[in-house]
Amino acid sequence: MKLPWPLYLAWKQLFPSQKKVSFFSLLAIVGVALGVNVMIVVIIFMQGFQNKFRNDIIDAQGHGRVIQWKPSSNWQKQQKKIEEYSSIDSVMPYLQGQLLLQKGDYHSIPFSMGIKPDRESLVLDIDSFLTGGAMKMDAHDAEDITPVPTIDTLEDDVIFVSSQVAKRLGVRPPSVIRFYDVNNSRSSVSSTISVSRLDPFVESGEWEVEFKSEQKYRVRDISTGDEIECLLSDGPIDRGIGFPIFKPVIGNEIFRKGDLFKFHVFKGSTVEAFSPSMIEKIKADEMIPPREVRVGGIFEVPWQGFHTEALFSTIRFMQDMRGDEGRIDGFYLRAIKSVASNERELAKSCQALEEFLGDGWGVVPWFVENAWFFDLLKFEEYLMILIMVPIGLVAAFAIAIALMTSVLRKIREIGLLIAMGGGRFSVGAVFCLQGFIIGIMGAVLGCGFALIFMYYRDELMSFIVKNIAGEDGQAGVSQFYDFYSLEIYYPWESVGSFHTFLSFAFFAVLVSTLAGLLPAWRATRLKPADALRGE
Amino acid sequence: MSSSVDIVLEAKGLAKSFLFEGRSFQVLEDIDLSISAGQSMSIRGDSGCGKTTLLNLLARLETGDRGEIRWGNHKMSASSKCASAEALIRASFLGVVYQAYYLIPELNVLENVLIGARLSGSFGKESTTRARELLNRMGVGQKERQVPSKLSGGERQRVAIARALINNPKLILADEPTGNLDERTGAEVMDLLLKSCDEENAALILVTHNPIFAQATNRSLFLKKGTLQNQ
Repeated sequence: MKLPWPLYLAWKQLFPSQKKVSFFSLLAIVGVALGVNVMIVVIIFMQGFQNKFRNDIIDAQGHGRVIQWKPSSNWQKQQKKIEEYSSIDSVMPYLQGQLLLQKGDYHSIPFSMGIKPDRESLVLDIDSFLTGGAMKMDAHDAEDITPVPTIDTLEDDVIFVSSQVAKRLGVRPPSVIRFYDVNNSRSSVSSTISVSRLDPFVESGEWEVEFKSEQKYRVRDISTGDEIECLLSDGPIDRGIGFPIFKPVIGNEIFRKGDLFKFHVFKGSTVEAFSPSMIEKIKADEMIPPREVRVGGIFEVPWQGFHTEALFSTIRFMQDMRGDEGRIDGFYLRAIKSVASNERELAKSCQALEEFLGDGWGVVPWFVENAWFFDLLKFEEYLMILIMVPIGLVAAFAIAIALMTSVLRKIREIGLLIAMGGGRFSVGAVFCLQGFIIGIMGAVLGCGFALIFMYYRDELMSFIVKNIAGEDGQAGVSQFYDFYSLEIYYPWESVGSFHTFLSFAFFAVLVSTLAGLLPAWRATRLKPADALRGE
Repeated sequence: MSSSVDIVLEAKGLAKSFLFEGRSFQVLEDIDLSISAGQSMSIRGDSGCGKTTLLNLLARLETGDRGEIRWGNHKMSASSKCASAEALIRASFLGVVYQAYYLIPELNVLENVLIGARLSGSFGKESTTRARELLNRMGVGQKERQVPSKLSGGERQRVAIARALINNPKLILADEPTGNLDERTGAEVMDLLLKSCDEENAALILVTHNPIFAQATNRSLFLKKGTLQNQ
């Protein structure tokens, strides 16, 4: 191939004939690659954390919040107005405040948010934070099969609490345990009966599902003696609110006559709720009994900046508790896709909406409301870069020293090249180009390493964590760092990720090329006659 | 005497001194020299008398105190720094052979020969054919894929001669090309060098300590006290 001779010679000095790669080249390229890999992986994961927080915040708070400065009961009109606004997709009113929860001798004062469950799924995604009210079981013939609740089961006398509140008060939502009657059941465990819904109003009791034939089974409420005959073809049996929904799950083997499944259902915990307005009334010698509510579900705190002690209830419940009938504090918004995906557009849109709504209303986009949190994450990201750039520079110094040594070792060859008609700058370019080639190859390899690390992140992290924290530590690490579920983007999936790859690859090439400049300059300064004498 | 038309190299009034510990040492003084195409010339002299310095001045690898040098039609002042344009001329005008071969260890034999063609910008199919032809002529054609470290001293010098000849140079400057070789190999290499220069119609200036090799050239000179003397 007809390459310019400095490039040809630079390549050959790095990858000599009859050798696949020289030891120096290998070390230099792998060194650059590891540096690029570390820098990319750290920043991609930082961006992954930011994206996760971003999505969690949007799921918990929507794209923005309309705040009502002056209380008004005529908010339905405003809701309609906002819904009709071009950049808004959906709206949900809210009312928030502080409540006191009591269970026996235990208390909690969670941040409380009243929402409209029928509008919630249009604006927020609280379901994604809900967890089951799992009970720790250690038996081979019994297991907790409590289904994860959904926010649509939220009623006026039901609350969903954060896991911290649940732990503090010792409460849980309704739960169900399934027992295999090993004496009676001949069925393979692969076919079973599960519970697909356990609403907050279900009462404690025992249930039995017995197969009369391969297709026919009987559901029996042991406490009342009620029975219902069902067919597998009927699907899940829904007898309305207050009853668990049993759902046959057919595995590899079919059900057989005599297969018996027993269930023990525990009703959800009840707690007493007090509000500041109730306390005011008590002060005025009014007799106000506390409001008894059921725990319908437990949710994990959506993101680190959210209140750790929190509850969700219906807006009506909050209105009752606050004594603000018919009032709301504002609205959560979901913007249309094209606006939501661009923060600048969203900010503009929020400002325009604020002007549109007139005095007494403020509109705050999610990233303004949580700016402190993202500033913190950005600071962390910049700090990481600041820490890592010197690592890159150390690699550059190593390359510079290695190339400088090469110049000194090849001093006579340099003299010869000039004697044979090579220009000084071309001879210098041989060394500069070596730095450039090392940079290019290191950057490509580093990007490759980063992609592999990203692809196998769970396996790699699992291996690392298992060896550092042990089997038990894994759950803690994954819960604390949320590493295993972290959504990260490959460069072809996101512009941000592409820029990160490109920036660090460019940085590596630049720094490696600059590292080659010093030896190149040294080579151009050599006097050919002195070089040939080996001085 | 050669006519001025086919004079390949001409030097007039070349002088060079070195400063050492504040004192000036005159190494070359008013050297006049010319050589025509196809001619060979040897320069002998004691160690440190300035033979290599003279070759470096002629190749414009070093600047002199005064004097003039002419490569074919290209005239230069010996005291001026070598311009980058001269480097390009040098690549096709001059071939150099050194005692220590200076083969590039990362390149194989064929690539080492072709590096001369790459430097002059004439690399291509033709130069590859010529490089193979030269290597065959030098008796190392079978070793074109070998790296220099696998070759003997004599073989390396043969490769270096092939490299010097790759661009059909007008002039070959050889600085003690047999200095690292045993007597028999040295004689073979010298024979090849003289024969090749003759075949290529290239002028040869040979610096050597060996009187027999010096006698084999058309003209034998001796450098003493900074001046060239006929022998």
